[in-house]
Amino acid sequence: MTTLWDTTGSSVVRALAAARHHTGSVSSGLALTLVAVTDGNLVAEAEQAATAAAAQHPCRLLLVVRHALSAPQARLDAEVSVGGRLGPGEAVMLHMHGRLTLHPESVVLPLLAPDAPVVTWWFGPPPTRIAMDPLGTLADRRITDASRDPEPIEAVRMRAVDYAPGDTDLAWTRVTMWRSLCASAFDSLAGDVRALAVSGEARNPSRALLAGWLQAKLGVQVALEDTPGPGITGVRMAVGDSEVRVTRTDGRTAVLHRTGQPDRVMPLPRRQLSELLTEELRRLDPDEVYAEALATVTGVSGLEERSARRTFVWFDPADPGSVA
Amino acid sequence: MTGAAPRAVTNPLRDPRDRRLPRVPGPCALVVFGVTGDLARKKLIPAVYDLANRGLLPPGFVLLGFARRDWGDGDFEQLARKAAQEGARTEFRDDVWQRIAEATKFVPGSFDDGEAFDRLAKELDELAVTHGTGGNAAFYLSIPPSTFPVVLEQMRRTGMADNAATGAWRRVVVEKPFGHDLASSQELNRLVDDVFTAPDVFRIDHYLGKETVQNLLALRFANELFEPIWSRHHIDSVQITMAEDVGIGSRAGFYEGTGAARDVLQNHLLQLLALTAMDEPVNFDAESLRTEKLKVLGAIALPKDLRSYAVRGQYTQGWLAGQRVPAYQSEEGVAPGSTTETYAALRLDVETRRWAGVPFYLRTGKRLPRRVTEIAVVFKRAPHLPFSGSDVSDLGQNQLVVRVQPDEGVTLRFGSKVPGTTMEVRDVAMDFSYGEAFTENSPEAYERLLLDVLIGDASLFPRNEEVEQSWRVVDPVEALWAEGGKPELYRAGEWGPAAAEAMLARDGRVWRRP
Repeated sequence: MTTLWDTTGSSVVRALAAARHHTGSVSSGLALTLVAVTDGNLVAEAEQAATAAAAQHPCRLLLVVRHALSAPQARLDAEVSVGGRLGPGEAVMLHMHGRLTLHPESVVLPLLAPDAPVVTWWFGPPPTRIAMDPLGTLADRRITDASRDPEPIEAVRMRAVDYAPGDTDLAWTRVTMWRSLCASAFDSLAGDVRALAVSGEARNPSRALLAGWLQAKLGVQVALEDTPGPGITGVRMAVGDSEVRVTRTDGRTAVLHRTGQPDRVMPLPRRQLSELLTEELRRLDPDEVYAEALATVTGVSGLEERSARRTFVWFDPADPGSVA
Repeated sequence: MTGAAPRAVTNPLRDPRDRRLPRVPGPCALVVFGVTGDLARKKLIPAVYDLANRGLLPPGFVLLGFARRDWGDGDFEQLARKAAQEGARTEFRDDVWQRIAEATKFVPGSFDDGEAFDRLAKELDELAVTHGTGGNAAFYLSIPPSTFPVVLEQMRRTGMADNAATGAWRRVVVEKPFGHDLASSQELNRLVDDVFTAPDVFRIDHYLGKETVQNLLALRFANELFEPIWSRHHIDSVQITMAEDVGIGSRAGFYEGTGAARDVLQNHLLQLLALTAMDEPVNFDAESLRTEKLKVLGAIALPKDLRSYAVRGQYTQGWLAGQRVPAYQSEEGVAPGSTTETYAALRLDVETRRWAGVPFYLRTGKRLPRRVTEIAVVFKRAPHLPFSGSDVSDLGQNQLVVRVQPDEGVTLRFGSKVPGTTMEVRDVAMDFSYGEAFTENSPEAYERLLLDVLIGDASLFPRNEEVEQSWRVVDPVEALWAEGGKPELYRAGEWGPAAAEAMLARDGRVWRRP
């Protein structure tokens, strides 16, 4: 591992090349570059999740830590590791201070693995408009997390307004196991869908997306029921003359109840951040099913017709009137 | 490698564009015969746990054990829990196990006990109601092949193998050996296919569940780069190796009558050969893959001079990995003067336009220097080298090596200039490594194959015709060896007997050191 204090982007590029030669693994599998964007408070958590995900998908990991914009001097500190603390692959931790936090692409661009897809993941409140973050415009895939926004339901709507193919949100990733369970239950149901309901915390963005998905696929309005949680606590589907209910009140195990059949219990744990990120990195093409669910729950239309490329929009938080 | 539940087509929640939803089988029971055996404890039960932990088992899943033990459900659950704790690849979580434990059943009985099978049939019917399995069941025969007839007969008698009679699907999983020659495998196939319908019979060759073997298909058929040179025009020869550093352990009873050719070459190596040599399948469903593999297996020809191109060996005492190891003849349970081979090497030709004149060299052995399985495709030399002879004296033949295990990945060997002021060319290797660091959490072969059985996807399972074609290749070799003579001796810790080196030297080639 190499640590560089008060350094430049070019020095980091040289240090990474040197580390690669030093370990002898000059070529290995490299499927993508993962750019993880976070701030000083969340760096440990982001590092742990990104490292675990990097252990399953061969990638170059660039951890961009944005420190205070107000720092008097723009400054870059870096840590380069190949096959070390930051996972089995190549990893660079970049601490940015002051005005440099507005120009992180100047350091990141030369560090991207040649011609490999770029995935940017924001760990922290998602950007309101991804086009305002240069690390978003250079990515092929963008991963946000609406649940980290102070107003998560509004954040989901923002994701629809701002959507471009290639965007996904971890609030959507969190409902995969719920969706799998619903699809399995539906396999053995026949008849018209009479009623649908999803219950959970009112401010839970995953509940909104699960409801959006069911409504988009089954064409029936989904009732939302508020409970204390944690997270999503249940789904109810009335189809033909039977009813299926899945309830999970402890955030760990679910009970599947179906008319005329014994109740069945199965594990349905809330997954860790690293597992969610790993699922995201499996596929790098646009998630059309997410777009449908997002459009349905927010009422914003035309998501899939949008261009996958965003044009960078300059914005200076120190000068709010600066949007071009 | 598609294959979702039949209802999936009509389920609006299953969108083909939705790549996140895992493939989850419909409700069913997995019935394991021989639950106390090594395979069940070390591979099968851990695989069931891992599937559950990954959320890949349906809500209506039941694990049912059958063995000659005076046990209740709880005793079996204890054994299974211990097996899962010791063998699972994913983290052991009590609440996940608790769900499996609630749906774990045990039926005691011996294979000739008709009453026990009546109880089993009844239990399966009851599970349809009490656990919502829908009556579906997969029977895993983790038992010696000699007991197959009696078990299958019991299944036939009780009607528990009959899809129509039970109104559900009933499948059977069979482990190798699939017979010991063509006649016995035909007999076995007739027996199994008689009781179950042919598409419901799943023969497990765990090599086909390995990621790298499936990756061979991706490498060949997803790229423009390799397929155009994948023929006699550019390929000189192919070497397929499966080496083990271990001896026979406690398996002398099985191994004495079997030997390396029947144990490994007939199934694993010929399957790898088929995947390497086959033409592009129309698509990746079971039927199309089988069609292409069968074409290759059917086109395999043995050398005319079989005596020179089929080498068998047996290890003598030697040193391996810093330890002294005994000779095969001194292993417990081995008859003195045994002629069972622990090493087999064989040249085969595939008589098609694509492969005419390209020899396929297959070898397998025990007590070789290290455990390694690989497919090495050796290319011809460039037709013209505009360098002086001494400049390229270090240049070998280009190779593409698929490393099946360990250290899964692909290696490409090609010539490169030695840095310096003179033009010298030598071989270098470029590695693609989906290294162990990247695959430790990827599913184990048994996990993948078990899931495929429960889903009903047969693309990774050899069908009976493939097994029979493979015996057609191996039988003449076994017959030749049975005529007399003894295996060539090699020291434990060596790469096989000298005769194997001589066999390639005769063709002007050498074995690659894996």
